[in-house]
Amino acid sequence: MSAESLGFSPGTPEWIVSIVGLLGVYAVVIFPSVALMSWLERKLIADFQARVGPNRAGPAGFFQPIADLLKLLQKDTRYHWSWREGLWLAVHTMALYSTVAVIPLGSSLIFVNTDMSAFLPFWAALVLALGTMLLGFSQKSVNGWFGGVRVGVQALAGALPALVCMLCAGVRAGSFRWTDLASSQGGLPLGWTAFSNPFQFVAFVVFVASGLVLLSIAPTSGGLSRIDLHGGVSAELSGRRLSLFRLGRFYVFFLWSVIAVVIFLGAWILPGNLAEIISQQIGPFSLAVIELVCVLVKAYALMMGVVWLSRVVPHGRVDQITNFAWRVLSPFSLAALMGAAIWAGWRALL
Amino acid sequence: MSMAKESRNSEELMLADLSHWEIGPYHGALPGQMCLRLTLDGEVVVSGKVETGFLHRGLEKAIEIHPWRAAITYADHLDPEAAVFGELALCLAVEQIAGYQIPARAVAIRAILSELSRVSAHMLHMVKVANSVGAETMIHYVLRDRERVLDLFELLTGARFSLSFLRFGGVRNDVTEGFIERVLEACVLIRARIKEYNDLFTFNRTFLKRTSKVGVITPELAKKTGLTGPNARASGLPMDVRRAFPYLNYPSQDFDVPVGRGEGGAVGDAHDRFLVRLREIGESLGILRHLAESMPAGDFLCPGVELDAATPETVALQIPPGEAYARIESSRGLLSCHVISDGGERPARVQFGVPSVAALAALPEVLKGIWIEDLPVVLSSLDISLAEADR
Amino acid sequence: MSDLNDKPGTSIFSTTKNYLVDILSGFHSACGSFMTALPYLFGKGDLRKEVTEQYPDPISSKTADDLPPRSRGLLFNDIDRCTGCKSCQKICPTDCIQIEVDQRPDSAKVWVSVFDIDFSNCVFCGLCVEVCQPQSITHTRNYERAAYGPKELVASFGRGKITPEQKAKWAAQRERNGEEGIMSP
Repeated sequence: MSAESLGFSPGTPEWIVSIVGLLGVYAVVIFPSVALMSWLERKLIADFQARVGPNRAGPAGFFQPIADLLKLLQKDTRYHWSWREGLWLAVHTMALYSTVAVIPLGSSLIFVNTDMSAFLPFWAALVLALGTMLLGFSQKSVNGWFGGVRVGVQALAGALPALVCMLCAGVRAGSFRWTDLASSQGGLPLGWTAFSNPFQFVAFVVFVASGLVLLSIAPTSGGLSRIDLHGGVSAELSGRRLSLFRLGRFYVFFLWSVIAVVIFLGAWILPGNLAEIISQQIGPFSLAVIELVCVLVKAYALMMGVVWLSRVVPHGRVDQITNFAWRVLSPFSLAALMGAAIWAGWRALL
Repeated sequence: MSMAKESRNSEELMLADLSHWEIGPYHGALPGQMCLRLTLDGEVVVSGKVETGFLHRGLEKAIEIHPWRAAITYADHLDPEAAVFGELALCLAVEQIAGYQIPARAVAIRAILSELSRVSAHMLHMVKVANSVGAETMIHYVLRDRERVLDLFELLTGARFSLSFLRFGGVRNDVTEGFIERVLEACVLIRARIKEYNDLFTFNRTFLKRTSKVGVITPELAKKTGLTGPNARASGLPMDVRRAFPYLNYPSQDFDVPVGRGEGGAVGDAHDRFLVRLREIGESLGILRHLAESMPAGDFLCPGVELDAATPETVALQIPPGEAYARIESSRGLLSCHVISDGGERPARVQFGVPSVAALAALPEVLKGIWIEDLPVVLSSLDISLAEADR
Repeated sequence: MSDLNDKPGTSIFSTTKNYLVDILSGFHSACGSFMTALPYLFGKGDLRKEVTEQYPDPISSKTADDLPPRSRGLLFNDIDRCTGCKSCQKICPTDCIQIEVDQRPDSAKVWVSVFDIDFSNCVFCGLCVEVCQPQSITHTRNYERAAYGPKELVASFGRGKITPEQKAKWAAQRERNGEEGIMSP
């Protein structure tokens, strides 16, 4: 990342730039995203379900997330503080937000950009899933225990297809570097990896679906099942801890959507040579903002699609979900990888 | 499993790699206040014991210590989700003793009420099943349309749940102005909505996966435990009290008795129980339309019966001595009422035979081999009312 | 979601076909569910309107006037009409009505000193309204009675208890008038 493009003076030490950058991503991207998405989700789903949705806090209930946050912060916990649960929640949360360093949010908003950088969020997601499992185990209840087992099982089942689909995108781009993955795509939908050929489209669908399985996001959220386990892993959490946990759940969803957008849905690439024009005419900072908005809008749209699906279709049973991941997603991802490889080889020969 | 609850035979359980989990009396997956003692192998239920009685209100005793008229209100609370059936069973039994001849109009109003109750109770069952598999949108759609039925109750009786509308010898009031038209409107609306439910939910692949071959009740088990109503019909036993022992004006109604056909994979699974109820809603709508279109004129109360007490001394109704038994088809199955009168101001004995007890009896057998995640599906698909079972 | 139909004796082709058909039907039904909800987003037609209301907004939510004519709301007792006959107390299934009566100086009327309805017990069955001869007890159209405790839910319509001195005074008055009480002691 270039410090100058974000307005730092040339002599600024690296560590200051990275700390300010990380905090900036939290403050400017993650938290507003949580608020915006939770409002958008509630409002749209209310529309689907012939309801009104939030309508009291601010115009059309826009400030409802803030009201919710303030309320959750002053809620008392249900049980006495247990050091084990607190420790696991703290570790879980810290691991969660460490992964913000590997999120790509624009050509200049990349903290880590190595040859294998695309794999970092993937491993981060796996760590988060298994961290959620351990959080479940740390709780003194059957609900948490079962929830933890389910989350762990799903993470293992979803990991393989997700990894293979990432390979598909890498085969097309010829690299796993964020900038290469992005620049191999065009600015218009037909230039995106997902729509470049049928195999890549299958890979995209499987990638999103396996991410849901891997991270236990609804509709494949057996480990957090509300009806039979009272929330599974989060059954014993309440008040501030629950809001922290929910924030984390949203964050992993967001993380996965951003990765899917960057490797399959055209990343931050603007149509034509718009990027150059903006960079020259208005300035690199504006370009960074526009690219960020581009990534976020696509990620939000993807998330809304998933949320929509999760609210209209019934939720799967955990053995059916893992079955689905191993028996449907995995073969399809492998087929997509073969197809994508042949396609890429064919094009290279031409 | 370290979190397993200590039990007397915990050593045995550990040797067999089993664990023990007690759910209840308060848990979101349960249909009410009951306790399930499960033995689990991983997430699969090996055996389950059912403990009930947490909701015992002494309803039958309460009827005995109150005047005759107040018994209606208690019968109302037998099953709050479908109140009119308790009232109807009690009224039919008491009218047998008293020898009242019920006018045709009152019979038609009673039949309309009981079919509307069936529709609303079956819709609530659909809501419960949708909730147990996590299909939120379905819940909202069905609840929205159930509101229309509750609105009709409110229009006719003044209350949405505990109607307290039937009286010994008829009904409390004549139909409200515009009620018949609104019943017909609601029939059309709900029929259109059922198509929407089918598109959205009934034949959804995930829903089929969650419910087909889950919680199968074989016809043998249904017979053994005395299961009646939609649960028994889903298992392939075409028993309907409206057909077998007709009451009200059901002999003149034209309706089918839907039977489980095993579309989900096995006859008598959770999906069959859902489908049978969905089809029964359709049949009830047909009956309702016929009833509303052929509403007889006349009195709504048996001649000679006064609703208001002439003097404070006659506030307690006098029913001649006798004994009677009436059975009706409630939304959950065969609901029977046995009334004994000694000629006094109060009932000597009123006893209800309720369908939910049979479902509870079948439960331990059904629970064997299901997953923990199937537990809410099985419980909601059996449509157990613990208010009714515990009384 | 899909499942393999691993029946013995089936060929690899039929197994593969079943597998693909399963996946397709799963995809199809998910799309079907998707599309059923879609018209609601645009609020097409009367059938797909929002049905929830913003309680307690006086503009949009239902008010007492919108209730059906027979609506059974909170009970009200017109104490001027009440004869203290206790019919309602006798008929009440939940024993939520408490009545105490005293004799007045003119024995034609009774002094209803206590007439309490405990709404925490009341089931709004309407039997008391039905049996009330002077039609003093009625359903109102009010249904909002949230309170912080069960004691606040008791509605008192009585005229108030009378003191022993007052009682003696009234008894003396009755004796002067030479009347017999209508009520047995």
